[in-house]
Amino acid sequence: MNDALFSQLSTLGSSVILLYGFTLLWRKSLHAYTVAFQWQSIALTFLFLIIGYFGHDVELYYVAGFLFVLKVLILPRYLGKLEQRFPGERESRPYVNVATSLVVAGLLVLLAYAITRPLVLVSDLPTRGGLPLAVGLIFVGLFVIITRKKALTQIVGFLVMENGIALLAALGTYGIPLIIELGVFLDVLMGFLVMQVFVYHIHDTFESIDVDQLNELRH
Amino acid sequence: MIFFLLLLPPLVASLLALLVRPHREFVGWVSALLSLISLGAAITIAAQTIAGDVPIWGLTINSLGLEGVLRADSLSALVLVCITAVAALTLFLSSGVGRTTHYDAKQLRRYQIFINLFIAAMLLAVSANNVGVMWIAIEATTIFSAFLIPLTIRKTSIEASWKYLLLSSVGIGLAFAGTVLAYFDFVARSGRVENALNWTTLMATAPLLHPEVIRLAFVFLLIGFGTKAGIAPMHTWKPDAYGESPAPLGALMSSALFAVAIYAIARWKAVTDAVLGSSYSNNLLLTLGMLSLIIAAFSVVRAKNYKRMLAYSSVEHTGLICLGLALGPLGAFAALLHLVNHTAAKSLMFFLVGNIERAYRSPLIERVHGLLKVLPQTGGLFAAGLLALIGLPPFGLFISEFALFRAGFALNQPVLMGITLVLMSIVFISFIVHLNKMLYGAPPEGVITGKADRLWNVAPLYISIGVLVVLGLTLPAPLATLLKQSVEIIAK
Repeated sequence: MNDALFSQLSTLGSSVILLYGFTLLWRKSLHAYTVAFQWQSIALTFLFLIIGYFGHDVELYYVAGFLFVLKVLILPRYLGKLEQRFPGERESRPYVNVATSLVVAGLLVLLAYAITRPLVLVSDLPTRGGLPLAVGLIFVGLFVIITRKKALTQIVGFLVMENGIALLAALGTYGIPLIIELGVFLDVLMGFLVMQVFVYHIHDTFESIDVDQLNELRH
Repeated sequence: MIFFLLLLPPLVASLLALLVRPHREFVGWVSALLSLISLGAAITIAAQTIAGDVPIWGLTINSLGLEGVLRADSLSALVLVCITAVAALTLFLSSGVGRTTHYDAKQLRRYQIFINLFIAAMLLAVSANNVGVMWIAIEATTIFSAFLIPLTIRKTSIEASWKYLLLSSVGIGLAFAGTVLAYFDFVARSGRVENALNWTTLMATAPLLHPEVIRLAFVFLLIGFGTKAGIAPMHTWKPDAYGESPAPLGALMSSALFAVAIYAIARWKAVTDAVLGSSYSNNLLLTLGMLSLIIAAFSVVRAKNYKRMLAYSSVEHTGLICLGLALGPLGAFAALLHLVNHTAAKSLMFFLVGNIERAYRSPLIERVHGLLKVLPQTGGLFAAGLLALIGLPPFGLFISEFALFRAGFALNQPVLMGITLVLMSIVFISFIVHLNKMLYGAPPEGVITGKADRLWNVAPLYISIGVLVVLGLTLPAPLATLLKQSVEIIAK
């Protein structure tokens, strides 16, 4: 009974997290991206707590705490500052339009189901149903990075991909060892800070944050 | 203890650069001298591993699952010596160390802080026992180096660093997903054991893991760390980043950082092979290696910028090393020897290119003529280094490429080796053509001729050339032992 509930909750949670990832594909304002990322991180925090509770793993509570502070409180704050700094910027003309993006993202999730079949087969954890969704989220994050033009959108895509990896680790193994998890958080934070510094640099030198202007380097 | 002498010097140097605001030259000298301690420690570790020892350091903290945090076997020792040697060379040849600098104090401070952190992160990556810690350290190298590429802010340097930062972060993220998948399989098989991510534990349990899962994990890992190593088609950041970096950073990235990424791939390949047998990973590496060679060959022909030309040469050598790793024990031997040779040659070239760019104020091949008249010593060394890179005797790369071909023919791969030879000849010819344009002719107006380059700007580089010649003429016994032991670790 407990296992059935756990299994349903974890799959439901993973689906919600993936859906927030899809938001990036059809919204255009940078503000919507920040909000989507923030809600996705909240959902992820909850899922960590659920897995910690049903899986009897105290470590995951700590991880959920760090995750909440980093990805719900700190990073969205910085994202919000960036957005205010560049108020007129919208992802109005991505390389791939919204309708196509959604179709492609759907296909990517199918692909994720195909390649994670062996994982689901070998695992006997109640959480295994969410594994394809986690890999799907990694792919959607990648897709956003590749097809969107604003530096800021690419950063959010990167963060969403990171969330996908964290989800994969939580579902598949009930979390990687704490010490590694902390190192990963530190790297995400540092990486994000460097990237946002670069957004300012890009804006100062190119007078916009469109990365399709970054094409001076050839041969 | 020995690990402290290895890892602390760059950290101390970085801290010093952070705290001491004036006296930039003094800080530079201290960093350079400290790097010699690291080099000494790396050589000591190498000597210990040759004697059959495996140095391990680490507190055992059960609650955090820590045990034997740092560990260096022969393979680590080999890469550690490469990194520390290039690091020492870099710090002695850095801007403001006994030579004039064109950076202001603020830029120089930033350079000294981050170059040392960058070195420390690479050393940690190679001496970490835990694959997770290794991953964290490699990710950290991306962040630290991204601060260094745009030391002078201009459109091209910002573009290069943004592409480098984004591509490397994504790549390394995928490598992390691969690590998680491998750990997932471990957990599915043996439950949650602490230290599951230690190399030693992973290798011991590998035969029990599920082939289907490891197959998926290795693809993620190869793409991830392959991005860092610049294997085609994930090499696109390389010409941009190498072209825009300050010379010392270019030298470190093209030789030391590259060695770290190859190290990670080789380690994971060993785990994968223990599960699946070697043909799966070999085929992937052969495919990507050939692709790298093809792309490199055609890009070198069209190169207009000599720094980017060297970057494409780097892609070529990446391809050769991938081929070597895929060709059994003989090939692995050749690949590791090639890695050592490439480290010596590529670091040399990036410093020389720094001198050339300073004198001609242009990175374009067509603007550089009469190099031998303008900078006789740099020009001579540049010619020698370029000939070494295309694999001519008496330089070390000739020997390792020869060993690679021997391994290929021993495994009955004449077609593969034939194509490789053709592609290498294309690089060979276009390098000679480019070199001719640069060495001879009348220097362009405005470039000062006859002013011999200062001895201190080239003197340390004679060591690199010396190493290349020695490795071309003989294989010193300690190195041979180290290589053989490393091959036993990664290829069975």
